[in-house]
Amino acid sequence: MSRGHHAEKATGKGDPQCFRGEAPAPKFKVGDRVRIRDLPDIFYTRCQVYTRGAEGVVTVVTHESPAPEDEAWDNVDKPEWFYIVRFKQKELWPEYPDVYENDTLQTEFSERWLESA
Amino acid sequence: MAEKHKPAPMVDEVSDFEVLEVAVRELAIEKGLFSAEDHRRFAEFAHSIGPLPAARLVAKSWLDPEFKKLALEDGFTASKEVGIDWLNPTGFGTPSDYCDLRVLENTPSVHHVVVCTLCSCYPRPILGHSPEWYRTPNYRRRLVRWPRQVLSEFGLQIPADVEVRVEDSNQKCRFMVMPMRPEGTEDWSEDQLAEIVTRDCMLGVALPHPERKADDKRPVHKAANPVHGH
Repeated sequence: MSRGHHAEKATGKGDPQCFRGEAPAPKFKVGDRVRIRDLPDIFYTRCQVYTRGAEGVVTVVTHESPAPEDEAWDNVDKPEWFYIVRFKQKELWPEYPDVYENDTLQTEFSERWLESA
Repeated sequence: MAEKHKPAPMVDEVSDFEVLEVAVRELAIEKGLFSAEDHRRFAEFAHSIGPLPAARLVAKSWLDPEFKKLALEDGFTASKEVGIDWLNPTGFGTPSDYCDLRVLENTPSVHHVVVCTLCSCYPRPILGHSPEWYRTPNYRRRLVRWPRQVLSEFGLQIPADVEVRVEDSNQKCRFMVMPMRPEGTEDWSEDQLAEIVTRDCMLGVALPHPERKADDKRPVHKAANPVHGH
């Protein structure tokens, strides 16, 4: 692999489009209830600590891409599916005021961070 | 005595990152990867991008239900209709961002607001560079946890029966908000509508208003102690 392999691969297609078709079939679908796993992350991660252990609902199956924990080290040979998950704010922050119980937060995870809830 | 009155340096110290940028740039130029003229041209381009294409995308969506559908389903393709090709935003060189734009539609029951808690992910090709406050730890830390309080600091109060939905942009998707078309804009043209869709409306910290445009005249304050005769 050349040093510029990432840019070469994305040219003319875009990133994450250049990883299309490279991941195994998605494990989750829109509407699935999921829990965020608390995996070790001593080197690099983009999975926020405030979401660990929280339960939410998959709202979008977005795209395929190497997980950031791999891509940060230039390991791009195992892309996986990404999901936008919606949480009730109360689920993330127990002190969130009851009067705003409908408020939500959405953020994105690679498949390894999710388990069925 | 002379020691006491040593003048302070005129310019602050250069940060490590600035030194690194200059070093890498000069090496790349020496190596022939790009020329100094290329670099200047890119810097000029980077300083000229702004939120106008995104405002146009929102205005078009308000007027054309078919286009709105496209914008919500495929932001990448819809961007081309307003002159932004995410693969080649500069017209020269390489893509400058990830290419998965998601447009979040506000409705009478949901208000979206965008943040990146991890760094400052932002749809630059279509919205320009992020405002300084968007990159501050203050906004990033507090918006996810106290969104209504932070919005009220921007002067925006969202009624309790409207769901505030925070979008924490932490991966390769890029997000912009499609605000609701305000009352009082019936019969407006696309050009007129685009003028009231400001950057902050598309981040979700403000709502468009028919009397507030991005290029409104600024108030002129007279000098408190005018120079004689002026």
